Amino acid sequence: MSKIVILGAGISGHTAALHLRRKLSKKHEVIVVTPNSKWNWIPSNIWVGVGKMTTDQVTFALAPIYKRKGITLYQGLATEIHPEGDAENSNAYISLTYTSPEKNGQVEKVEYDYLINATGPKLNFAATPGLGPDGHTVSVCTPSHAIEAAEKLSDVIAKMKSGIKQRIVVGVGHGTCTCEGAAFEYAFNVEHEIREAGVRDLAEIVYLTNEFELGDFGVGGMTFAQRGFETNSKLWTESLFRERGVSAILESHVEKIEPGVIHYEQLDGIKRTLEFDFAMLLPPFRGADIKAFNKAGEDISSTMFAPSGFMKVDADYTPKEFSEWLASDWPSTYQTPSYPNIFAVGIAFAPPHQISKPRKSAVGTLIAPSPPRTGMPSGVMGKTAALTIIDRIKKGASAVNHEASMANMGAACVASAGSGLSQGSAAAMTMYPVVPDYQRFPSSGRSTKDTYGELGLAGHWIKFMLHYLFIYKAKARPLWFLIPE
Amino acid sequence: MKMIENSADLSNAPLPTDSTLRQRKNFFFQIFRFVALNIRMVKMIMKGNH
Repeated sequence: MSKIVILGAGISGHTAALHLRRKLSKKHEVIVVTPNSKWNWIPSNIWVGVGKMTTDQVTFALAPIYKRKGITLYQGLATEIHPEGDAENSNAYISLTYTSPEKNGQVEKVEYDYLINATGPKLNFAATPGLGPDGHTVSVCTPSHAIEAAEKLSDVIAKMKSGIKQRIVVGVGHGTCTCEGAAFEYAFNVEHEIREAGVRDLAEIVYLTNEFELGDFGVGGMTFAQRGFETNSKLWTESLFRERGVSAILESHVEKIEPGVIHYEQLDGIKRTLEFDFAMLLPPFRGADIKAFNKAGEDISSTMFAPSGFMKVDADYTPKEFSEWLASDWPSTYQTPSYPNIFAVGIAFAPPHQISKPRKSAVGTLIAPSPPRTGMPSGVMGKTAALTIIDRIKKGASAVNHEASMANMGAACVASAGSGLSQGSAAAMTMYPVVPDYQRFPSSGRSTKDTYGELGLAGHWIKFMLHYLFIYKAKARPLWFLIPE
Repeated sequence: MKMIENSADLSNAPLPTDSTLRQRKNFFFQIFRFVALNIRMVKMIMKGNH
């Protein structure tokens, strides 16, 4: 009998748990440790943040699903990993602190044979003073954050209806943030809401980003082949900004936020300020606060985790110049180098380097979008680690690891830019591969045939369809496994 | 409120024509694009062998 422990029940962890349970007999135990009682389809938090959806439409309780599927749920926060056990017991285990109302604060050890770290990010609002719901800006990272964002947006719309001009800033709250696509999406949903409210002329909408140019999205931009020409996401994105009258401030690192004022620095090293009435700025991410210890009880966190707090896996972490980066630097099995029974997937694994070219300002401040690894790639990684574990249990330790490198993986990003089945719009993008491979695709690093962007109502329908499809899959309804990650 | 300093110059970005804007909302054309985009996504997923 094997015990598989999964830390986190986001897209990657939950996907791994469902596949493990589906393919392993009941004599093997699948355990999920998560501080949250509910699963959240995070991409739709954007719609909660403009008041178009409720939190109940983007979340569901995990306990009934796990009970039905035979997955053990510990509602708690993993705090320690002991991959060699300890002085008394050589079985590997993790420590968790319960977050459920019944056992809140109690500590428990859970032994494992295999461990998947799928904790997702720690939302590092503290990296920028004044950032986030405890500061002076809002966020859409969680359903409760998105509800607050919708309420504050409603307040500024009310002020505009009474004739008061408002400046709305949407973007990222630090020079090393990721998920620019989500900020882009929220900016255009807000623009749509304000237009629908009939007060567009009283709103100044500003997109504040760490991207070097519009359309970068943290993946270095995309090159498309359209109508016999090669074009790029920069041109395409700039066109949308101009058409909708949204301003953009690029190459920015937000330093601090005071009530109504954002302090930011740009690549030229000059520090500027931007006044605002409403600001939704995404936080930078770092790894979850988990420590690792060896058998002697010595802290081995710096061996297992990168300084960012993300777990090191089978990537090439040798420091290199941007021009020397290779697609093969990226991990493919997500197995940790020190412990072959531990995997890190989704946002929890440490990327070997950025995808978008990192830059420093004239005074040395790093302004570099971090690589996105949410959504579709997260699910694929979770499934890959699960399949490797399943094979090892069924075929023995010599079973070949499954592979899914982001340099050989495509992704679809559908950013809605307004809602409604007849009036909605979206920017639908596909890219292959996510990590550019200049050896396979010398001109742009990606296949121009499979990298594509399109604006229109169809993209909005796809986003809507994906919302229901992925919630259906996550609820493990009949034939859920036929829906690809 | 102070003017925005240093915002990106978008004055040369191409604007969509009226017919492009109509096409983006045309129900029948968008049904065709919906099918085409889904096929594109499935092919891309298959290519990654996931």
